[in-house]
Amino acid sequence: MPPLLEMQGIVKTYGAVRANHCIDLTVPEGRVIGLLGENGSGKSTLMKVLFGMTPPDAGRIVFRGQPLVGHSPREAIAAGIGMIHQHFTLVEAMTVAENAMLGWSEAGSILHPADIARRIDAASRTYGLPVDPHAVVATLSFGLRQRVEIVKAILRGAKLLILDEPTSNLSPPEVASLLGVIRRLKEAGHSVIFISHKLAEVIEICDEVVVLRDGAVSGRAPIGQVTREDLARMMVERDLSAPVTRNTREAGDVVLAVEDLSRHDAAGTTRLDRVTFSLRAGEILAVAGVDGNGQADLLDTLAGILPAHTGRVRIGTRDITRLSVRRRLAAGLAYIPVDRSGTSLVPGMTITDNLAMRDFNRMPLSWGPLLNITALRTQAGERIVAFDIRTADADAPTHTLSGGNQQKIVLAREIGRKPRLLLAFQPTWGLDPGAARFVIDQMLALRDAGCAVLYVSAELEEVLMLGDRIAVMSNGRLSSPEPRAAVNVTRIGLMMAGAA
Amino acid sequence: MANDPTAASVLVPSGATPDGRCINELFGRLAAAGGLYSAGRAVVAVLLAFAATAILILIAGKNPITAYWALLDGAFGSFDHITFALNKSTPYILTAVGVALCFRAQIINIGGEGQIAVGGLATSWVALNYANLPPVSAIALALAAGIAAGALWALIAVAIRLWRGVHEVLSTLLLNFVGVLLVSEALNGSMGEVGAGFPQSPMFDDAVCLPTLFTGSDLHVGLAIALVVAFAAQFLLWRTRFGFRLRLLGGSRAAAAYAGVSLAGGMMGVMMLGGGLAGLAGGIEVLGIHYRLIEGFSQGFGFTAVAVALLAAASPLAVIPAALFFGFLQAGALAMQREVGVPSSLVYVIQGLSIVFVLCAMGLDDRRRWA
Repeated sequence: MPPLLEMQGIVKTYGAVRANHCIDLTVPEGRVIGLLGENGSGKSTLMKVLFGMTPPDAGRIVFRGQPLVGHSPREAIAAGIGMIHQHFTLVEAMTVAENAMLGWSEAGSILHPADIARRIDAASRTYGLPVDPHAVVATLSFGLRQRVEIVKAILRGAKLLILDEPTSNLSPPEVASLLGVIRRLKEAGHSVIFISHKLAEVIEICDEVVVLRDGAVSGRAPIGQVTREDLARMMVERDLSAPVTRNTREAGDVVLAVEDLSRHDAAGTTRLDRVTFSLRAGEILAVAGVDGNGQADLLDTLAGILPAHTGRVRIGTRDITRLSVRRRLAAGLAYIPVDRSGTSLVPGMTITDNLAMRDFNRMPLSWGPLLNITALRTQAGERIVAFDIRTADADAPTHTLSGGNQQKIVLAREIGRKPRLLLAFQPTWGLDPGAARFVIDQMLALRDAGCAVLYVSAELEEVLMLGDRIAVMSNGRLSSPEPRAAVNVTRIGLMMAGAA
Repeated sequence: MANDPTAASVLVPSGATPDGRCINELFGRLAAAGGLYSAGRAVVAVLLAFAATAILILIAGKNPITAYWALLDGAFGSFDHITFALNKSTPYILTAVGVALCFRAQIINIGGEGQIAVGGLATSWVALNYANLPPVSAIALALAAGIAAGALWALIAVAIRLWRGVHEVLSTLLLNFVGVLLVSEALNGSMGEVGAGFPQSPMFDDAVCLPTLFTGSDLHVGLAIALVVAFAAQFLLWRTRFGFRLRLLGGSRAAAAYAGVSLAGGMMGVMMLGGGLAGLAGGIEVLGIHYRLIEGFSQGFGFTAVAVALLAAASPLAVIPAALFFGFLQAGALAMQREVGVPSSLVYVIQGLSIVFVLCAMGLDDRRRWA
């Protein structure tokens, strides 16, 4: 019997970035295939190609014996492919039944909600997916909303279900129930592509696993023949010879001391769980981890943007746990957040204003209630030269600049403040290799100048390259930092996948 | 920040709903606009609006050229006509400057109408009760009372927004009705003129009425005050720390938090400023035009001011020409109706279309930027 889905030689490049390179993927009927890989390894791109959201540059897709060429998501659904995105596509103000009818041609132009509700009930019973068709989606928990998405896909006749990181926001019992649903789907002859970076779940539910790294397949195997260690190695293994030259220098005094820092969000979910570490002058502590494991919370809490719920943070000997953002800035803290499009920069404001954004309240940029425009301009001129920001006009809005030049503005501002402590969150995100290298070199120069740097990134390569000590963040917890020389990459991979 | 799925649509802070996001995007774009380029755009939009309205006049069986000539003559035809139009523009300038500053911070204050009403009310109360003070100090005290009342009225809206999470569009809009009715309440009660047959206060003492700029004309000093305010607001926006904070808040709330700028502080400051200016407009209107408090004296100025601020792309200085345009247009409208028989309401069509065309131009810009 031919497989349900065959993808052959899929190639997709975005500019200079090779997102998918000659990827083959075969999904037999009634099987669960795990698709494993770090952020940016090409999983999402491959699934977008399959679902018709983006056309591939080369390659062939055959689904149920029919070739899929230049198809749209609508055609993919009609062919029998269902995709459950990580961020749900439900209308919160509508009921489950109304959501099921939305954009579904079979629902007809005159709607029969009672009819649909019956079909939802029937499908729910068959697959062990109890869900009330008349419930308003806004009142449902995350796990139930996911069920609604699955029911929606099944009603539309999906033979192959793509689940994108389906467990990332679920509680443990919800995860168990989802895995049960996947088993029932499998028994009923459906196939599932299970995208994840959590090794334990992949090993539990999948029949076969395909591992991607840097846009190419780095390993594939039936699940019975691999161990967690194998998978972790396939996921993260790489050449470790450090391509940057770094000076060896002794770290100085403790600059940042964090004790038992915890935080939960508005829904009560723990985002940071007793994070404890210290950081010395002239040292880079690099933190690896899959996105969404509390990194943003950690940095925003240290920067004073989010409140800490328990624990203590000290800069030098000074307790800053309850200080405002402005006081922390004055205490010598600099921060490069990940989002350039609206947090670290204001796209509509000028380069001059963006360079002044974090210090406009203080001398010399302001004098009493007035801004000192001359000082603003002088500072901007100096920093544009020092950081080689390519612009003809300091009064141009920042959105007219390239990503690399925008990040240079952020670096110029944060590094130009001569900080004691720099927090950096994926500062190379979205930059081309040259610009990324510039950022890395600036980090190292700052370390050599005696600044303490906390460098957080989902790119393991950068973490291994930059860190004097290395730690891993997973589920809101920070592992105990290890010196660079003692690091075992496979173990880091396991910790990132929440399996060690 | 986690999305709270249970929050109902209007009770969400700062545009977490799709509609809110759309509005905020529009005002974000507004905040980014400015300079000569948008002036040119406004002129083109106005010309297009006149052209489109000409078609309507044709359909009505009248000659658009004679109609527009009558409009022009009504607006500029004599010194008195010009004076009338300038006086009409004054409350627009004052209120729209406040609205524009709010827009810059991405705060949508449409409470001008109510703020004008309570401002006029407070000014009138002082004018009626403290007319025996030395003339200049009586006027200053009366206007100060108007400013304070308008600012307080705006503060109520901000408090509801910050502590109860009701979007400021709703809180400012609904307080308009309360403010306007408060004036009626006062005029039907203790402040009303006995036996007037119409809800109005007694005439103010001559000493508290605004002096005119030239002897023998009706042009009062309100216009001069409004011009000074517009220039001061421009300075405030671009040359002070407070203005920088407003621009940061308008550019990105996340960036403002990152820079340590508090939303509550900025919102309170700029809304009270806007409310104070609207209150001043109300005070000037009663002291300079009517010489008494009259029911409904605010005539929708607060809403027109929102349109003026939009046409001016939220730039305090550009508010001056935009407000003059609206003032002269409305002054000419009556003449057009009288002379040619074209309904004066067509002028509102011109106003509306101007705004629509300006917004369309901004939409085009946006598409070009991301294309």
